This record gives sequence, structure tokens and C-alpha cells, in this order.
Amino acid sequence: MKAFKASLWAASAIFVLAAPRFLDRGTLNDLWNLAFAVILASAWNLLGGFAGQVSLGYSVFLGIGAYTTVLLSLRGVDPFLTLPLGAILAAAFSFVIGLPAFRLRGPYFTIATIGVAEAVRVCASSVSFTGGSSGLRMPAGSFDFNLNYFSMVVLAILVVALAAYIKRSAFGRALAAIKQDIDAAEALGVNSTRFKLAAHALSAAVVALAGSLYAINFQYIAPGSVFDFRLSLSIVLMPILGGVGTVIGPVLGAIIFSTLQIKLLSIPALRDSFLFIYGGLLILVMLYEPHGLVGVGRRLAALAASAFGTNRRIPDAG
Amino acid sequence: MPADAVISVRGISKRFGGLLALAFIDFDVMPGDIFGIIGPNGAGKTTLFSCLVGAVEPTSGEIRFRGERIEGLPNHAVVKRGVVRTHQIVRPFREMTVMENVAVAAHFGAGRRRGADAARRVRDVLGRTGLAAEAHALAGTLTIGQLKRLEIARALATEPQVICLDEVMGGLNPAEIVGAMSLIRSIRDSGVTVLMIEHHVHAVVGLSNRILVLNFGQKIAEGPPQAVLKDPAVITAYLGDN
Repeated sequence: MKAFKASLWAASAIFVLAAPRFLDRGTLNDLWNLAFAVILASAWNLLGGFAGQVSLGYSVFLGIGAYTTVLLSLRGVDPFLTLPLGAILAAAFSFVIGLPAFRLRGPYFTIATIGVAEAVRVCASSVSFTGGSSGLRMPAGSFDFNLNYFSMVVLAILVVALAAYIKRSAFGRALAAIKQDIDAAEALGVNSTRFKLAAHALSAAVVALAGSLYAINFQYIAPGSVFDFRLSLSIVLMPILGGVGTVIGPVLGAIIFSTLQIKLLSIPALRDSFLFIYGGLLILVMLYEPHGLVGVGRRLAALAASAFGTNRRIPDAG
Repeated sequence: MPADAVISVRGISKRFGGLLALAFIDFDVMPGDIFGIIGPNGAGKTTLFSCLVGAVEPTSGEIRFRGERIEGLPNHAVVKRGVVRTHQIVRPFREMTVMENVAVAAHFGAGRRRGADAARRVRDVLGRTGLAAEAHALAGTLTIGQLKRLEIARALATEPQVICLDEVMGGLNPAEIVGAMSLIRSIRDSGVTVLMIEHHVHAVVGLSNRILVLNFGQKIAEGPPQAVLKDPAVITAYLGDN
């Protein structure tokens, strides 16, 4: 089973990496969107899923990455060289949010992150160096879609691999302990604040990298796009849909989300209804299967096991 | 205060609003002690443990661990120094296996073990606490007796010098109590100083070499078990005036 899973992961990775050789640009665009969604969902899951700290402020980190890239590119820096700086700035800003906000628990933490994200969006719309609400355009120049595609796909693969590694590490166990009972975790020596800050910073940096690639791909950013609250909502929705706290959950969620997004946006009548549909999905998941699609899969596996009389253990999340 | 005390508590009090849960408690625990803490419900026993490990900050007073002040340190920092507690109401990580539960303690306790080293420590502790057969079971599926042992196993896996056991015998059957008593003795014999809150009087008298009695947050007696049980103040606290 483990070997089967590993080969499935490897096959998917090889497929998306080799796709430019045999797929048309439109399909590649969809795959680019999928990789982007996988990165956001898997990165959010490091803090929100593994450690149970639900942040609705991740658009901030996407925006920091995107703006760092555009602002520096406008000053003549090669766009790809700006990626590390955007990641570092986002990680630094994650401490500014986390140090006060991690004193809060549960929904209070979530509300605080919404507040910060909205404040950042308003600031970015009102100061002049960001171009205000009308946004910024990348300097005219050569844009290599293939390079951007590979960067996004490689980043997505790395993030999923990182999540799988963290899940099995001591760090991952600390995050799981924090999620399940923060006081019991502290009583066993887990410095919960430090691990929450670390997971937050790591996921912020990853999201900023995706934000930089987003800016390079679309060549234009504005507070209404990269700092949009709906973006923060989508980032949370994907892992919840797929299964929070697992490695594969955010990937499944991202696949459904980006497929729906593409289908819905191509139907003019449904263009504005996607939030309604996501809201409905979210309610269904929370009411009937808090573990998302992964939970549905586990139920089916348990059902199959009992039907065939095999006494199999509950399959690992992963 | 005695220079060789492992734990020295001086003038510890804890106020919750209008309630003085602990009122200026003093005591010392010597290396190798099994130090019993008894008292009626609401006497402040668990609050005392919470203060000792830093889960709550005392309103006043000093706590020293081997001479070093530890009051006001966060819980995780006290554990890393070597003082750990179990919870009276068990708090397992229900969606982790028994092994993973104990591994968290091995990774982040005073031992700070990783990889194969941590795995060895976990196996060792599971063996000592009789949980080896349940290693891969989810903690949420254990019986109450097993959960009590898991609390002890996790505390031991932090590699403490002082372990505070909060009613680990509550809810156990007589056979399990005998097992728990020999486990506590073996913990002491391995060089760990034991503080234990216990309602089961036979167990606490049989195990402890000193007993502290609390009532309404006050210390009403301290000494060897037999002497403490004959103390008029203790008899009054448990049985009333008549």
C-alpha cells in the first residue's frame, strides 16, 4: 500500500513535469492554476491542518510575495531573484501577526487574522508606493511561461514532499499535540508558541513564493486581487474540503477547487455564484464529514474491509 | 530550607478571584521521597501541582527545584528542567497512537531525544507501564486504566527528576491498584522523586514516606504517614467535629 501510494505520487509528479511536451497551452494554464492551488492549500495546512490554528489571513503573505517581486522588478532586479526576499519578508511579517495573535485560541485567533489581513489590504490600497488601489504592472520584458510553469510545479511538489516529511517528524508530532490538546502538549515540554510561530513562518514563506510566481505570470497585481479576502477564504476551503491535517487532503481539495473554478468561470451566469457554491460545500463538509474527502475515503475503505471480512486497520492519513 | 531538597516550596498561594485556593504553603521534598499529598475535595492539591509545573502562576511565594527558582516559568520550561506532572482527568492525544503520545514526551521533555534514540526510550517506557501491546492503538480507544498508565508513561518519557502523579489510581480496580503501587515504587527506585496526590488512603500510606495534608487551601499537617493520620486536625478535616 505504501509503495503503491509512493508510486502514485511519483507518477503524478512526472506527469505534471513532462506535461509541456504533449499538452497545449490552455491545459498547461489549468495545471499551472492547480499547482498554485496545491501550494496555497498545502502551505496553509502546515499551520491550519497540522497545528489546528485556522488563519483567514493568508492573502497577506501572497500579497507580500507578489508586491516584493513587482516592486523590485520595476527597479531592475531580475524577477526570479526577488523570490527569496519575498519569502523572508512574509516569514518576518508572520511573526508580527503571530506574536500577538497566538496568545488567542480557537476562533479568537481566526478573527484576529482576518483583522490583520483586511488592515494590510486597506493600507496597500491607500499608500502610493504600491500603486494604490489601481495596482502595479510588471516591467515590460520577456516572459517565459515554461519557466514559470516549471517553477510553480516544482514548488508544488516540494511543498507536498515537505508536508509529508513534517508530518512524520518530531516537529509534526509537536504540531499534532498542539492541535489536539495544547495544555497537555505544554505539560510534556512542547513550547507551543515557538512551534506555532515556526509553522506560520514556514507556510507564509511558501505562500509568498507562490505569490511572486503569480505576479510574474499575470504581470499585473492590485490589492483587490492579491490581498482579496476571498483568496484567504479559498486557501482555507481547499484543505477543509480535501481533509485537514493530512498530506493528500489539501491536494484533493485543490484539484476540486481549481476544476470547479475553471468550469464555473467559463459559464457567465455562474461567474458570481462560486462563493455560494463553496459556502454550501463548506457547510456540507462541516456537518457530515469534518475530515473531508479523506474522511469519506476512510469510511469507504472501512466499509469495503467489513464487506470483505478483512480486519484491516484504519488507513494512515497521508 | 534544607540544602539538599529537590523541591522547596515557601509561602506559595494562589488566588482565583475571591477564592484563596492555596494559602501560604511551605514544604520540602527530599531526593528519593515518595511524598504524598492528601486532603478533601477542593483542598487545593491539584492547584499545588499546577503551580509546581508552571501550568498556573502562583499569586505569591517561591518554588525551588534543586535550589533554582522555577515559579513563573512556563510549563514547558519546567518540564525541560526535569519536573513533570500527570493529569487527574486524563488528557491523551486521542487521534495519535499510544506510541506517538509517548514520543511527543520523549522528543520535547528533559531528554530531548530524536529518531532511534527516542524510539528506544518510548519502547522502554511502554514496557515499564505495561502498554507495549497497545503501542499502535489510537489513544482514544484505550480503557480508563490504560489511559491512566499512558499519563504516567508520557510523564516518564520526559525523563523527569521529579514526577507529580495526580490521582493515578482513581477509577482503578484493586488488581490495577496493586500494579500501580509497584510501578510507583519502581519509579522511585529508578532515582525519580515522586509527589503523589491520592484519595486511596491505603495506597498513599503504604507508599509515602512523608505526607502533606491540605484543607481549604491550608496546610493542616505534614509528617510520616502514621503520625499524620492520627493528627486531630486531619481527623476533623476528613470526618468532621463529632
